[in-house]
Amino acid sequence: PPSADASGPSSSLQPAKLSRAELYKPPTSEELSQLKETEDLFHSSLLRLQIEELLKEVTLKETKKKKIDAFLHEINTLLSAIPETPETELTDQTWLPKGVKVPFLQVPFSVKGRFRFVPPAELKVVGSYLLGTCIKPEINVDVAVTMPQEIFQDKDNLNQRYHRKRALYLAHIAQHFSKEKLFGSVKFAYMNSNHLKPILLLRPQGKDEKMVTVRIHACPAPGLFKPSRFYPNKNNVRTAWFMEQNTPKEGRPPTPHYNNSILCDTVLLSHLHFLSSAATDFPGMKDGLALLKVWLNQRQLSKGLGCFSGFLVSMLVAYLLMKRKIVRMMSGYQVLRSTLQFLATTDLSVTGISLAKDVDSSLPVLDDFHQAFEVVFVDPSGLVNLCADMTASKYQQVQFEAKRSMEILDDWMVDGFQALLMTSKPMLRAFDHVFHLKHVSKLQSTCKKMQLLNELMDRGGNYVAAALPFVVSLLGRGLAGRALLVAHSLPQIPEWPIDAEPPKHKDVGSLTFGLLFDPEFAASTLEKGPQADHPEALDFRTFWGEKSELRRFQDSSICEAVVWKADTICHKRLIPEQIVRHLLKLHADIPESSICYTGALLESVIRTGQEASGTGEEAMVSVICSYDDLSRKLWNLKELPLTVTAVQGVHPALRYTDVFPPIPMKPIYSSHTRMRIKNLLLPSEEKPCPAYIAPLKIICHMEGSGQWPQDKEAIKRIKAAFHLQLAELLHQQHQLVCRPAVTHTDVYKDGYVFRLQVAYHREPLILKEVVTPEGMLKYQDTEESRQLELEILHLPYLTSSLHGLQQQHPVFGSTCRLAKRWVSAQLLSDSISEECVDLLVAFLFLHPAPFTPPSSPQVGFLRFLDLLATFDWKNNPLIVNLNTGLTGEQAIKNKFVAARARLPVMFIATPKDQWSSMWTQDRPSAQVKTSLISLAHLCPILSSTGLFFLQMVFRPPLDFYDVLIHLNPNQIPRHLESVDRPLKSFSRGVVKNSTSVKILFPVVDYDPVQCYLQELRDAFSDLALFFYDKHGGEVIAVLWKPLSFQPQPFKVSNMKGRMVTTLNNELVCVPNVEAILEDFEVLGEGLVKSVEARTEKWTI
Amino acid sequence: MAAAKERVVGAAPAGYTALAVKFGERQRSPHYLLVKEHQVREGAGTTHPSRRTLFVLNVPPYCSPDSLSRLFSRCGNVQSVDVCEKPGPVEKKEKLKSKFFNRKTVTGFHVAYVVFRKPSGVQAAKALSQEGPLLISTETHPVKTGISKWIASYAASVVDQEELKAEVDAYMQDYDKKIAEEEAKAAKEEGVPDEEGWVKVTRKGRKPGLPRTEAANLRVLEKEKQKRARKELLNFYAWQHRETKREHIAQLRKKFEEDKQRIALMRAQRKFRPY
Repeated sequence: PPSADASGPSSSLQPAKLSRAELYKPPTSEELSQLKETEDLFHSSLLRLQIEELLKEVTLKETKKKKIDAFLHEINTLLSAIPETPETELTDQTWLPKGVKVPFLQVPFSVKGRFRFVPPAELKVVGSYLLGTCIKPEINVDVAVTMPQEIFQDKDNLNQRYHRKRALYLAHIAQHFSKEKLFGSVKFAYMNSNHLKPILLLRPQGKDEKMVTVRIHACPAPGLFKPSRFYPNKNNVRTAWFMEQNTPKEGRPPTPHYNNSILCDTVLLSHLHFLSSAATDFPGMKDGLALLKVWLNQRQLSKGLGCFSGFLVSMLVAYLLMKRKIVRMMSGYQVLRSTLQFLATTDLSVTGISLAKDVDSSLPVLDDFHQAFEVVFVDPSGLVNLCADMTASKYQQVQFEAKRSMEILDDWMVDGFQALLMTSKPMLRAFDHVFHLKHVSKLQSTCKKMQLLNELMDRGGNYVAAALPFVVSLLGRGLAGRALLVAHSLPQIPEWPIDAEPPKHKDVGSLTFGLLFDPEFAASTLEKGPQADHPEALDFRTFWGEKSELRRFQDSSICEAVVWKADTICHKRLIPEQIVRHLLKLHADIPESSICYTGALLESVIRTGQEASGTGEEAMVSVICSYDDLSRKLWNLKELPLTVTAVQGVHPALRYTDVFPPIPMKPIYSSHTRMRIKNLLLPSEEKPCPAYIAPLKIICHMEGSGQWPQDKEAIKRIKAAFHLQLAELLHQQHQLVCRPAVTHTDVYKDGYVFRLQVAYHREPLILKEVVTPEGMLKYQDTEESRQLELEILHLPYLTSSLHGLQQQHPVFGSTCRLAKRWVSAQLLSDSISEECVDLLVAFLFLHPAPFTPPSSPQVGFLRFLDLLATFDWKNNPLIVNLNTGLTGEQAIKNKFVAARARLPVMFIATPKDQWSSMWTQDRPSAQVKTSLISLAHLCPILSSTGLFFLQMVFRPPLDFYDVLIHLNPNQIPRHLESVDRPLKSFSRGVVKNSTSVKILFPVVDYDPVQCYLQELRDAFSDLALFFYDKHGGEVIAVLWKPLSFQPQPFKVSNMKGRMVTTLNNELVCVPNVEAILEDFEVLGEGLVKSVEARTEKWTI
Repeated sequence: MAAAKERVVGAAPAGYTALAVKFGERQRSPHYLLVKEHQVREGAGTTHPSRRTLFVLNVPPYCSPDSLSRLFSRCGNVQSVDVCEKPGPVEKKEKLKSKFFNRKTVTGFHVAYVVFRKPSGVQAAKALSQEGPLLISTETHPVKTGISKWIASYAASVVDQEELKAEVDAYMQDYDKKIAEEEAKAAKEEGVPDEEGWVKVTRKGRKPGLPRTEAANLRVLEKEKQKRARKELLNFYAWQHRETKREHIAQLRKKFEEDKQRIALMRAQRKFRPY
C-alpha cells in the first residue's frame, strides 16, 4: 500500500549537530550577509533552501537542452523539404491523402478562397524555451512557421478563410511528418483548447518521447493584414455566411475574439523579442516565472480555454518591470511576491492594463477593449488582448488566490512554501459546493435562449465558450452575498491523432462549477428585493421568475422577495443548489437532469432516524439545551454539603461531534423485564435488544474544602456518597429520575440520560503522591492519575474549545462526524481515539492554508482524507493551535525532532498539551496508522472520477481479514446507524418522546456487541485483533497475529488459548485454533449468527 | 494452518498433565488444561499448601471458580479455588472485601489453584486425563454466556442504594477515627524532643517549617536564580557584547544546519516535485 513516509531508519530527522568549534568560528563577510539576508527576506532559511530545491527540480537540465536543440534542427531541415502542391479551391480537399484529417471544424463548410502549400518562409523558436522559463513536467517548445505570402489572397481575413488555410497548411506538414522516423508521435491539438487555433505536436522517437513536445504554430507573413481591420469593434465574420443564407444581412456585429485570434499569430515574434529584452540582466525573472508557473499549475489555472497561461504571466512580469514595480535586482522569490501583490490588488476586468508604450491615436483605447472583452491586458503592439478568452470569473479566481497567497506569505505560523507551491488545489477540495454540467451540448439551447448569435459567430460556433461567461455571471448574480467566489473549470480538449476527425465542442466533457461560500449568508432562506413600487422591482421579478413574490416585512415595507423552502440546517445548506437549478432552468434552459450537484452527497451517512429528517444538527442543539438546563439545576441545588463549582460536559455530543447525536427516548415497558423494587428496566432475553441509549457524561466539580479526606480510598467513598446524594436531591427538588452507582449517577431528563461524575480537583495530585526514602514528597504520574486527569481536566477543556470552534465554523461538527463515521466504517473506530479525529478535523479549520476554512461538511471531509493521506507523521508534529494559544511553534518542532523515536506515531500538539500528545499516546498503533493512510489514499482515486461513487468510500474492504464473525441483527442496538440502512428493522422498545416524568429508568449503555468485543479482546488479545464498525456493523472482522502463530517453546506465562503438541519431536505450543473458533460462538451465545473462517487465506 | 499436520493430542510438557475440557456437549474441539501439583520453593504458604494444591494452567474465560470446583469435586472434596491472571505468589487475601469498591474480576484465559482437602485429590485429578473431555456447562449446571450473561451482569451492576450508603458510612467512620487518632498522637508529640533530643518540626504548631515537597524545593531554587539574575549586568562589558553577537550567529548557523538537513531529507523523499 502507498505510504506517505519513506521507510528505512535513515529517513527520519535527526537533531542537527555542529561541533563547538564550527559553531563559534569567526564568520566570513559572505556568510554574514547570507545569514542576514535569509533572516530579513525569508522567514527562515528553510524557505530559501526549499525554493532553491524546487527550482532545481523543475528547470530543464543542460544535457536535455542539447538533445532538444538537435531535434529542432532536424525538424527545420525536414520542413524545408516538404514539396509544394498545386493550387485548389479551399473546399476541395481531395489532394490531402487519407491518413490525415483537417484539424478544423469546418462549419459552415463552403467558403471562398484558394489554397496551395508552399514550404515555410521562416521557422523560429518562440516562447518560453528560448527564455529558459519552461518548466517540467511538460516541456513545450513553440515553433512559429511563417506561411509565405503566395498562399494568401485578398479578404482572407474574412469568414475563417485564414484559419482554414492555416489548418490545411498544418495538415499537409503533419501528413509528411507522420512518415518520418524521427518522430515518436505526430498529433494535433488546439492551442489552449481554442478550436480556431489548431497546432501540430511533434515528439521525438524512443525513450525521449516524454521529454519534449514541439508545438508547430503557423503564422502569416508579416505585413499581410492591415491591423486596423482587426480592431475590437470590427466585423470579420459575415452573418449571412455563418447562417448559410444567400441574402446579406444588415448590421455587422463586431467579432473581437475572432479578430484577436488572427492578431495573435502576427505578433508571435515581436512578443519573443519583447520578453527577451525584459529578461536580459534579470536572473530573478527566470526563477520568478518558474515559481509563478508552479503556483498557477497547482491551482489548475494554467490549462484550457481562457487560462492564465505561463506566457501571460511572463508578460505580466514584463509589465511590472516596465512600471518599475519589479526591478532587475530582485530575486525569484521577490518577483513572485510582487506579482502576487499586483494581482491581488488590481482588477483587470475593471481597469485593464496595456503594454503599448507610444500613444498612437489611431489605435483602439482601453475602453474599446473593455467593451469587447471581460478581462483586458493589451500587448506591446496595442492591438492584441492577451486575456481575450478569459472570463471575469476566472480572473477573480486568480485574484482571490493571489490575495490568499499573500496572506499566507505574511503569516509566520504557516509553511508558506508547502501551501503556495506544493499543495495542489483541485476543485473538489477547494470549493464548498461543486456541480457538474454533464451534457455541455445543452449549452446550445442556452445560446438560443439568451440570444447569443453574435457571440457564437465571434467564437466560430463554439457554444461552450460563447455561453460560459453569461452562465457564470448569471450564477454570480443569483448567489451574490452567499458566495465569495463562483468559479468554473476551464474547457479542455485533449490532443488527437492526425487521422481522426477534430474533436467537437461537446468533447470538453463535463463542465465543473465551484462555489465558495460566505458562511454567514450562504444558508439564508430569504432573498430580499427592492420595494414593490420601485422601478428595479420589475428587474428583480424577471430575474427570479415565479419564485419572486410580494412580502410584507417587519419594518412595514412591502418588497419583492424570494423565500426558499428549507426546514433543517442540512436543507438550508443546500439552498444554493435550489438557486442554481432554478436559475439555470429559467434563464439558460438547462434541465435539472443535466446538473450533477455534489453538495451533500455524503451527508446521508450521518442522517439520524429512518426518515430523511436532517443531519442531526438540530438534535445536537436540543441536547445542549437540556444539558445547560441540567447544569443550572446542579449549581442551584440546595442542601448539598459542598457547592458545585463547575459543570463540564465531556461527551462528544456536547461539542457537536457525536456521529449520531442522542434522540429523546422513552422506553416501552412491554419489551423489557421490569425490576420494580429499584424502579428500572432490564433488557429482556426474548425481545430484540433495546435501542442504545448513550449516557452523556458530565463532570461535576465540587468545591475544594478541608472536609475532603486526603487519602485516595477515602476520596472514592466520599465521591460515591455524593453520587447517592445528588440522585436523591435531584429527585426531591426537580423530580428527575436518577440511578446512582459507585462511580456516577445517571439522570434521566428530557428523554436523555446524563451521567454525572463528581470530581475533586486535588484527587489527581493525591494519586501522584510518592514519599521518597528521605521523606520528600514527590509527585509522579501513575496510570490511574493520568487517566483521571484526562477525564476531569483535559477532556472538559477540549470539549469547551471545540464547542467554541463550532460557534466560529458552523460546519465543524458535521465535518467531524463525517470523518468519524468514515473511520468507524473502516472498522478502525476502536483503534484511534475520537478526540484524535476531532483534533485532526479542528486542524483543517484552524490551519486551512492554502484553502479557506471549509463551509460544507463534504469539502471538509475530502480535505480530512487528503490530510491523512499526505501528512508526514514521521518527521512533523501536527500542531493544532486551539484558541490561538500557541506562540513557540518552533520549540515544539525542535523538541519533537530530538525525541521522535519515543513519541507516538501520530503526534498532535495543542496549546495545553505541547509535549505529550495525550490523545494519541496509546492509539493508534503504527499498523493502524499505515492502514488509515492507505485507506485514505484509495479515496481520492474515487473522487477524481466524480463524486458519484463516494458512498463507496464508506464501505470497508473485508478481503484481508482471516475470520468474519457475523452477528444477529436483532441484538445489534445501533443497527439503524449502518451505512446501508437495513430494509427491515426491529422494534427496539423505545418511542421518541421527551415529556415523561415518572417512569421506570430505561436501559442505558447496554450494547451486547461491545460486551462481546470486550470479552473477545480480554481472552484473545495475544492471538488476534478484532475490528468492528460500532455504528451498526453486522460483522466483526478478526485478524490473526502472525507472530503469535509461530510454534513456541512451552512457557507457563504464555499458555493462553494454546495447546502443546509435538513438532519434529519437540514439544511446542500452538494456538488451539479449532477450539478458539468454537469459543467465538460460545462467548457470543445469542449474538453470533455464524463464524466464517476463511481458512484459504491463512498462511501461518 | 497446522490443522493439516499430524498432531499428538493431549501432549504435555514434563511435570504437567493435559486435561481436555469443553464448554458443552455440542462443541467438538476441546481446550487443554495443564495441571500439576503446586510446588513452591520456600515453604508453601498456608493458602496453597504444597501437597494438596493443584495448579491449573489455561483455564478458558467461561470457566469460573465454581465450575472448576464442580469439575474437580469428583476427585475429592475441594476446599477452595483461587483464580488469577498469571501464576505467582498469591497476595494475602484482603481482609474486608468491599462489595462496591476495588472489585477486580479475572477475565480471559487464566490460571487457577485448586486446594483439595486431601492430597489424594491431586492425584485423582491428574488421572482424569484418561477419561473423556470435561464439560463446563451441563444441563444440571448451565453456565451463562453471551446475551443472558450480559443481561445478568447489567442487572448486577445496579447497586442497592441503602447498602452502598451503609458501607460508605461505616468506612468513613473508621477513617475519621483513624485520622483523629493520628492527629492526637501528632499533637502529643508536638515540640517534645525524642530520646536524642531532636524536635520534629511539622507544618502545624507555632513555627511551621517549609513543606518537604519537590515543588517547594524547586520554588526555592527558582527564587535563588532570579535573585542572582537581577544582580548580573547584561551587555555591560565589551566582551559580553561580543559574546551575545557570537551567540546570535551561532544560533543562526545551527538553524541553517538544521534546515539543510531537513531539505536533504525532503529531497530524498522527492518532496520537491510539484506534480
